[in-house]
Amino acid sequence: MFLVYFHLAFGLASLPEAQKLAEPVYPRIDTLIIKSMPKEQLTAVTASADSEIIRRLYLDLLGTIPSAQEARTFLNEKSTNKRNQLIDQLLARPEHARHMSHVVDVMLMDRRPDQRVPTAEWQAYLYTAFAENRPWDQLIREILSADGSDPKTRPAAKFLLDRDGEVNQITRDVSRLFFGRNLQCAQCHDHPLVNDYKQEHYYGLAAFFNRTSLFPNGEDKKAVLAEKAEGEVSFQDVFDKAKKVKTTKPRLISLTAINEPAFDKGKEYKVPPKKGEKPQPVFSRRAQLAPILTSKDNHAFARATVNRFWAMLMGRGLIHPLDLDNSENPPSHPAILDLLTKEFIAHHYNLRWLLREITMSQAYQRSSEVPVQLKEIDPTKWVVAPLKPLSPEQMAFAMMQATGLTDAERTALGTKCTEATLYAKLSPQVSPFVSTFGTRPGEPEGHSFLATLEQSLFLKNGSVLRDWLSIRNANLMDRLTRMKDEAQITDDLFLSILTRLPSQEERTEVIKMLQAAPAAQRHTTLSELTWSLLTSVEFRFNH
Amino acid sequence: MQPCSYQCGTKEHLHSRRTFLMGTAAGALGFAGMTTMASAQSLKSSQKRVLVINLAGGASQLETWDPKPGTDTGGPFRAIKTSVPGIHICELLAYTAKKMHRLALVRGLNTAEDDHGKGDYIMHTGRRKEPAFDYPHLGSVASKLLSPSESSLPGYLHITPSGGSSFGKQDAAFLGPRFASVTLANGQPPPNLFAPKNLSPDAEQQREQLRSQLNQRFQRSRRSAQTEAYTASFDQAEQFMKQAHIFDTGKEDPRLADRYGKHDFGRHCLMARRLLEHGATFVKVTHSNYDTHHENFDFHIEQLGEFDRSFATLIDDLVDRGLWSSTLVIVMSEFGRTPRINHLYGRDHWSKAWSVALGGCGIQAGAVTGKTNANGTAVTDREVHGGHLFHTYYRALGINPAKNLHTPDERPIPLADPKASAIKELLA
Amino acid sequence: MGPFLPFTLKIDPTKTRLWKELKLGSPLIACRYDPTGKYLFATAQDSSIQRVNVLDASTTKLSGHQGWVRSMAFSKKDHLLVSADYHGVINLWNWQQPTPKPSNTIEAHDGWIRALAISSDGQTLASCGNDLKVKVWSLPDGRLLKTLEGHDYHVYNLAFHTKEDRLVSADLKGKIIDWNWHQASIIRELDAKVLHKYDKGFMADIGGVRCIAFNNAGTLLACGGITNVSNAFAGVGNPQVVLFDWSTGKIKQQLVPAVAFQGTAWGVAFHPDGFIVGAGGGNGGQIWYWKPDQPNSFHTVSHGVSFRDMTLHPQGAQLGVACSDGVLRQYSLLALVSKIKA
Repeated sequence: MFLVYFHLAFGLASLPEAQKLAEPVYPRIDTLIIKSMPKEQLTAVTASADSEIIRRLYLDLLGTIPSAQEARTFLNEKSTNKRNQLIDQLLARPEHARHMSHVVDVMLMDRRPDQRVPTAEWQAYLYTAFAENRPWDQLIREILSADGSDPKTRPAAKFLLDRDGEVNQITRDVSRLFFGRNLQCAQCHDHPLVNDYKQEHYYGLAAFFNRTSLFPNGEDKKAVLAEKAEGEVSFQDVFDKAKKVKTTKPRLISLTAINEPAFDKGKEYKVPPKKGEKPQPVFSRRAQLAPILTSKDNHAFARATVNRFWAMLMGRGLIHPLDLDNSENPPSHPAILDLLTKEFIAHHYNLRWLLREITMSQAYQRSSEVPVQLKEIDPTKWVVAPLKPLSPEQMAFAMMQATGLTDAERTALGTKCTEATLYAKLSPQVSPFVSTFGTRPGEPEGHSFLATLEQSLFLKNGSVLRDWLSIRNANLMDRLTRMKDEAQITDDLFLSILTRLPSQEERTEVIKMLQAAPAAQRHTTLSELTWSLLTSVEFRFNH
Repeated sequence: MQPCSYQCGTKEHLHSRRTFLMGTAAGALGFAGMTTMASAQSLKSSQKRVLVINLAGGASQLETWDPKPGTDTGGPFRAIKTSVPGIHICELLAYTAKKMHRLALVRGLNTAEDDHGKGDYIMHTGRRKEPAFDYPHLGSVASKLLSPSESSLPGYLHITPSGGSSFGKQDAAFLGPRFASVTLANGQPPPNLFAPKNLSPDAEQQREQLRSQLNQRFQRSRRSAQTEAYTASFDQAEQFMKQAHIFDTGKEDPRLADRYGKHDFGRHCLMARRLLEHGATFVKVTHSNYDTHHENFDFHIEQLGEFDRSFATLIDDLVDRGLWSSTLVIVMSEFGRTPRINHLYGRDHWSKAWSVALGGCGIQAGAVTGKTNANGTAVTDREVHGGHLFHTYYRALGINPAKNLHTPDERPIPLADPKASAIKELLA
Repeated sequence: MGPFLPFTLKIDPTKTRLWKELKLGSPLIACRYDPTGKYLFATAQDSSIQRVNVLDASTTKLSGHQGWVRSMAFSKKDHLLVSADYHGVINLWNWQQPTPKPSNTIEAHDGWIRALAISSDGQTLASCGNDLKVKVWSLPDGRLLKTLEGHDYHVYNLAFHTKEDRLVSADLKGKIIDWNWHQASIIRELDAKVLHKYDKGFMADIGGVRCIAFNNAGTLLACGGITNVSNAFAGVGNPQVVLFDWSTGKIKQQLVPAVAFQGTAWGVAFHPDGFIVGAGGGNGGQIWYWKPDQPNSFHTVSHGVSFRDMTLHPQGAQLGVACSDGVLRQYSLLALVSKIKA
């Protein structure tokens, strides 16, 4: 193993530009990671087993686990390139676009309750974007530019409309999501802990939105964004004894203020403010943001994006926490972040490219088992793969797959079964998982993990899981109760739920339990066995 | 005047309360989930708790703690003497008046917020609402800071008059759902507390055993704080399920239970007592509703008729059980009501000069702070706002209000508004 | 009205007009004409009773109550005015004295007294209130004769029958008890529960029989209040007067305003001419005139201020309303009619 990495570290020479773009980046990621690893840990590095990686890839890219059949096929596949082939297959599946629509919905909207744009329409919009692999910069441009007045682009306006067009909410989240800097603390004064975060950064960003409001009003569910032609941000440091009031023109954190054209009095508006009419300034401050934010010159945007999706796959950001990018909190691997940022821009913000490169890396594909010789694991070195708790959506879809609800619905749909028709059947089942396992609405879903009493009672005593363990045509209980051979049942049970075959020890144990129970109680025994597997730590985490 | 008893024994109110079962109070004794009575005793003596009675909708300060009889705003009720010489409260609180020596009054409250939601927020967080930041409820903070680690009950329990029982998320803000409220709607236990009917104890044991074996095997090489938290949450569920009997007020001696009044609020106060004596950290009982824009006086007779007797009984029971001195008691609303009586005999929203009552842990019994003018339209002495109340609460509980909580991104948040301070004259 | 004038005055409710306004100060609660019609008495939120001379508007304050006075009743015998307050106190006065003083004070009830009534022979007084009791007293000595128990909720109103020796009392839930008060026994119950609602949103009772009256013949009983309540705490509902056929005890008619109105019917009276007068308040005030056999008022008078009580002058030519703005208003029902036939 060591030799392989050694080879990789020295295997790259400079190539011509065009060729460079086609050249995969993931070997360079691995080189840089290996370079940062302490020697004694280098020897401990272990690649994941096939059963581990297929589960991980399915969960990360499709948001669910593979069926027993899919798992079996992959495990039996002999090709040496089968992992990279699987990655390409998964990225091309509609389920991938669906999963990304969930991930990005939560990323951008923090599970806020719907205000003016229904989540279904917003997710459908995101699904379409991911299905065609719309470049990330274009997607964010759309989201920050839409004002909600055109029904065709209204779903994209959810980001701004459902934040009530409110300047502080928007400023906080734009800084957090698209700059990787949570400037909220700089609202009232320069950030007390982070020297880089200045009050003028906060208000420079706020100045893009300070003239924006909801039209006709906040109560109207069909409200759109309107803008005035006047109004400046003003701020003073709460600690400033002189109480000096300052102002700034719109400016991005790292860039100078934008040039704002001056207008003669009375010429500022295309549509002047009038009762019952939406005002339209000649010069829209808000409209300036999207193009500058997503421009190639603004590395912070690509950098924050790369860091976020790296964290989605690798369990933590290269910069961590994700929205604390500053000189005193440097990336664990600055060279990787720079490399991916540069390449992400060069690859025209192609998100699928980014996910592909990261998942193809050996760093991603390591085993999550901690080698016995290692006492302490530094999570920033990626010596072992992290345990990532399943999101509420991953948990719901994985449990539906594990219990065979997915198969049952697929069978019931017959020839009408497509990703969309199946999703329509399954998605209503997700909401109890979101309400039980999701974070507080409006709270950014970090990688903090919460195990609550509500959740364990839901799993122990709730009716959702219990219903899925009754027998239904083509579901897991149906399949297993038809089988006679206990060893076969045991293998199928483990493969269906944990995406692996049982250990010898486990096989013996389960067979014993099955044989001990009277035949008439087979279903009861199987359903309790299934429950134990579903509620195990192994299932709860993407490992 | 004796409180009018028309609520009692009527069909309507009998319908809405659960039958009080015959039987002894044996079920209420002993702490399931605790190993011995001794540990329960030590918990009693060291643990501090909070009880909030939330008079939702905005109870009138003039019909409760700060009566102004004989003035243009006074309304039809009299002020009566209390067990503390010199303190008079409204005649609608005849039972509570006899417990005044255990309570303290804040009569100079000006929260400057006449909106229900925003007023409620101030009274629950000690802060005004901010657009992009939420402060945690007092209940969530108490749950975090006061709950013993071995507690098998959720830290913040909220008994509401109606709705559905549920686990909250929002009110814990950045402290996270672990410290959020658990709603016991109409005193009903939270969802999924009871094991599925068709799951036999043997099967339950078997499935738990297998789950535990699988976990051990997986955690041999993949143990983390997160995996530990996950497995611990199942243990917590098991402990909590063993405590389910607390939610059955039918286990109480009916004669003792009836002292609380034969109505929902009485039963809810009884449940609050049961929860507190079984180790709950923070219990809030909401009594609805006091938003009396119309017929303020008729409605206050009805609502306070329920509140007065139940609350007085609850004070007695907490004292009898040795819990009073370790339980901070707060009687509050989102605001008070206008001194001016409107054309519908109603009073409207009013936050400029109103009152709350405190008692128990750390509170100077019999104290009164703050004063309003003759007809109650303005605070004339010792004006305080929500921030002062929260400093006082924390001081009373022995917690430094300047202590910081931390958001997930490590932003320090002082427990109480740094611009305010405790009402020292109310502290014991 | 000499025979030489070409016009005469006639009672015509459809010509009702605001006749006199008198600002008394504190918001008013109740009002009553004395049986001779010389004075109009009004009670207010400052716990006072004021006597207003109808002719010259001169006023006299009657001091004696510490709490709001909700109810007054009169007997011609000895010019007796009986008043009752929210602190459970009944005062007896001679209303004609230059400055009346209580001649007798009775600690009558525990809590609010909501209504009083005097029998037509002037011998008996009845009172009721929040202690759920109805009490019967002898006049003028104020001796307690009977305590009637049968209500489970606050007793809001009562009335003696105009012909028979019977007493009715009515409560928050709209339960009306027809009493043989001599034996303290219940003869029957009448049902006006349409005037009550338990508002589940606010978890409180709203309604009750806010006004009550028998007609002179004793064949009809009218009970008024609020119905269709959609929001108890904002007082969103409609006034209604339930008209009972006394002989059967069944509802004969549910009288409602013809003009949309939100509020409570606070006063009801039978006019000697056979129509029914009601008045109430909420968002503004209204006076309604009904014929006993038609549900909708045949004439409605509206005002911007809320009416809280109404009293009909013994001659039927005027009515008085107690208003929330502290003004005592009198309306005239008289109209000029030409003697010359067209």
